[in-house]
Amino acid sequence: MLLPLLHHSVRCTQVFLTRCIRCDAQRTLHSQAEHFLQRRLPLRSHTQSRGTKSRSRKKSQEEEWKTRNKTVLTYIAAAGVGMIGLSYAAVPLYRLYCQASGLGGTAVAGHDAEQVETMKPVKERIIKVTFNADRHASMQWNFKPQQTEIYVVPGETALAFYKAKNPTDKPIIGISTYNVVPFDAGQYFNKIQCFCFEEQRLNPHEEVDMPVFFYIDPEFDEDPRMARVDTITLSYTFFEAKEGQKLPLPGYSYN
Amino acid sequence: MSTAMNFGSKSFKPRPPDKGSFPLDHFGECKAFKENFMKCLRENSFDNSKCRLQSKDYLECRMDHQLMAREPLEKLGFKDLTDPSQADGDVKP
Repeated sequence: MLLPLLHHSVRCTQVFLTRCIRCDAQRTLHSQAEHFLQRRLPLRSHTQSRGTKSRSRKKSQEEEWKTRNKTVLTYIAAAGVGMIGLSYAAVPLYRLYCQASGLGGTAVAGHDAEQVETMKPVKERIIKVTFNADRHASMQWNFKPQQTEIYVVPGETALAFYKAKNPTDKPIIGISTYNVVPFDAGQYFNKIQCFCFEEQRLNPHEEVDMPVFFYIDPEFDEDPRMARVDTITLSYTFFEAKEGQKLPLPGYSYN
Repeated sequence: MSTAMNFGSKSFKPRPPDKGSFPLDHFGECKAFKENFMKCLRENSFDNSKCRLQSKDYLECRMDHQLMAREPLEKLGFKDLTDPSQADGDVKP
């Protein structure tokens, strides 16, 4: 009878030794089991109760800080990437904005040649177009407008003439460009046909009439920024072109 | 021409003409029409609306003498001038 009890107690001791430090090998089975069960729970709370409450608080606080730092860093990184993306997107966006608002004299989107047929003249708004002629210092042509001014209305096509004379004894090739003042009105000034941007050759002592066929966009009347504009000045400047020189045509990129 | 690239300053950007460049009238074939037009302008104190018929005649002369690409007059903004002449029976090319 003592043998199984001893055997059991040894086993229990082995178990106890592996699981707990303090144990009593002389207890009965029931009490040992009870003790074993009882020992378990207080043991755990025992380890937790002393000093680990603050340890757990610190640990959770550290974890909290860590997660907060992580979210902050994520936000900052996202903002940085967003800024870079915005700077790339700004180029076409700004171009769109310029076209929509007509800033800097860029062509207003929607200007097309078919409009000439269907546009209606705005008869109430009379605009004076004055003409100016210039030439480069080394250009020997005589270049002047044949009328100093002309009164047009938006939506109506108009014709104007310049006169150029080559007083020298050798042929001179000229090429011209133009300018419209005020700059904002330049987007409404549409030339159907003129003599600019192409080489024009004048033989010695030759005199020619150079027409400009243009119209002012009827939308000119609706633009609030043009409300006080009554005079538009068209100015042409002639330069001498050397043989074989190719000048780039303006308005290739976004007009 | 604007060369100063100030940020925010308005600059002028020249645009090529819609239908290109007029060939030069070296022989003065349409000079008479031009003189007619200029006379009309001077008489009407340079009011373009009153001289549209003469400008139409000038452009037609240019077209006739191969100095301008032939186009229907409506495309040049002369729609209001072509209708009554068609009613008269004139056939405009």
